[in-house]
Amino acid sequence: MLKKALLVSMVLVFALVITMSSSVMAQEKYEVAYIARAQGDSFAAWLANSIVNEAENYENINVEVFDGQGSDSKQNSLIENAITNEYDLIIIQPNNGEAQRPYAEQVVEAGIELITTNARIEGIEGGSSVDADPYAQAAVVAERAVEQVPENANVVVLTGPPGNFHSSERRKAWEAEFFEKRPDVTIVGEQIANWNKDEAMRYMEDWVIANDRIDAIISMNDNMAAGALEVVKDDPKFNDILAYGVDGTAEACLLIKDGLMTATTMQSAYALADKLLWASDLLLRDEVIEIHTNIGNPVVDQSNVDKYIEMHEEAGNL
Amino acid sequence: MNISNRFKRVRKKYGILLVLILLFIIATLLNSNFLSARNLSNISKQVSITTILAFGETILIISGMLDLSNGSVLALAGLLSVSVFKMTGSLLLAFLVAIIVAVICNILNGIMVTKFKTPPFIATLAMMAMARGAALLYTNGQNIYQIGDYTIFGQGSILGIPTPIIFLVIIAFVTWYILHHTRLGRSLYAIGGNEEAAVASGVNVNKNKMKAYIINGVFVGIAGVIFMSRVNAGLPNGGQGFEFQALTASIIGGTSFSGGIGTAGGTVIGAFIVGTLNNIMNLTAVNSYLQQIIRGAIIALAVIYDTYSKNMKMKSEKGEIEVEEDEKEE
Repeated sequence: MLKKALLVSMVLVFALVITMSSSVMAQEKYEVAYIARAQGDSFAAWLANSIVNEAENYENINVEVFDGQGSDSKQNSLIENAITNEYDLIIIQPNNGEAQRPYAEQVVEAGIELITTNARIEGIEGGSSVDADPYAQAAVVAERAVEQVPENANVVVLTGPPGNFHSSERRKAWEAEFFEKRPDVTIVGEQIANWNKDEAMRYMEDWVIANDRIDAIISMNDNMAAGALEVVKDDPKFNDILAYGVDGTAEACLLIKDGLMTATTMQSAYALADKLLWASDLLLRDEVIEIHTNIGNPVVDQSNVDKYIEMHEEAGNL
Repeated sequence: MNISNRFKRVRKKYGILLVLILLFIIATLLNSNFLSARNLSNISKQVSITTILAFGETILIISGMLDLSNGSVLALAGLLSVSVFKMTGSLLLAFLVAIIVAVICNILNGIMVTKFKTPPFIATLAMMAMARGAALLYTNGQNIYQIGDYTIFGQGSILGIPTPIIFLVIIAFVTWYILHHTRLGRSLYAIGGNEEAAVASGVNVNKNKMKAYIINGVFVGIAGVIFMSRVNAGLPNGGQGFEFQALTASIIGGTSFSGGIGTAGGTVIGAFIVGTLNNIMNLTAVNSYLQQIIRGAIIALAVIYDTYSKNMKMKSEKGEIEVEEDEKEE
């Protein structure tokens, strides 16, 4: 009798263990490494935070964020480490696409799912990508500027770091969609302000001395546009100055609301994060083998800025 | 004394100042707006933050140390100051917080250097990483906006003089006074010139080094307030590379990297050489890639000229001493 009871209890315990382990197996999470360009870059930080928040909506995905600190070598080491640690999927936000290309290729060779984002690394066989098209981002505001910038205008141009894909593509878009269509416009100053507000301020302070009239600020991101506007915001001579950016940062939205900035393109970190997790989920569950997709490029101006301010407020950016 | 000799004397005595004057003359010829009051005010505002950092750097280099963390500490101190202002609305408290944070970071630098004998390069490099990390962690990498009246520190003016320039002048005077009219200043020159000799003559090296870091901390805190106020935001990635701009200003201004030599006036001149160069190249719309080449070349030429002038001065003084000794022997 005792033997029988012992046998039954052992069977029950064994069955319980099997049930528990299978339930643990079913809840096993996919491990995703997100290699961020630089957490010191406010857009990159916004994107990283959005990815972490969005991942909470996916029970089967756990995201670890790694900071590339704006350094190619640091970022490449992080990719190598993620391969060694056998993550299920690696998302790379490259500091410099060409410098990270061989390491991104190693990810695919190791049989790990790869997504490149903001900006995508083109042409990696077996790798996926989620991005915003930087050319289109600038083109949509440049098209508006063609209509808004006055005849024979003097403009200043602020660009991002040399060699940066987003900066060079945005600049190309302004050239093709604005300057070629408006030969009457003169560029009275063009400088690299490295995406930085304080550097843009310094250039603008000099440009307003050198030029009696500046009609528009054309910037490859919002941070630099905000810096240039900071210099002229209280100068009645520049009351009618137009200012265009890209990113749709919280500050740019406030400047548009106050009538200081004309327009920007929303490069929404939320939209990117949303698509990144959606693509990750599909890739990890083998629903697809490769995805390439872009987020939209809505223009933010006086007519719709309120909803974007609300979005930033909800996200705690304001 | 003929004109040639007089010119040599002036060149020997004023060295780097002549470079700045020459730069001003060229800039005036290139652009008629250069000498306008507004442009000169612009240059002063633009160089104010790095010059204030450079004063701290000069004090440290004179005493044989340096600070690579000032850009990151500036960001951390400035951010916390902005946050405190947004929470309390008190400008005074916000200003004090920036100074306290920067002083604490510099006390830690000082402890690493004096108690643990860590080379200043390594100690402040570590602080550079820690302070930047803390700034990013505190803000989650996001900028702080809508800072209201806080902008008064960097965008305000008193009797028409922009506040950054007022801070700059006060700190220049304080630096000059410390270096040339206090026992601490004399001790710092002695420590940087020959630390063993300073110890032998009774100078408390560790105490004075710590004081130098504390003074540097006060300057970095003030620079942090001016920076955040000037850009009208709390930027956790602000001040990147400022440590090298401050070092450049200090070294161009004649501060010897091996310690024991340097002045507040020289540092101001060094900072204005860099600021004037940047300004005139922007006024004349020089291509940004070309700007980097010209900036590097002129900085190298300025330092070569200054070193040459000092060598000539030393040779000349040595010659005069030898002549005097020969005369005495006769």
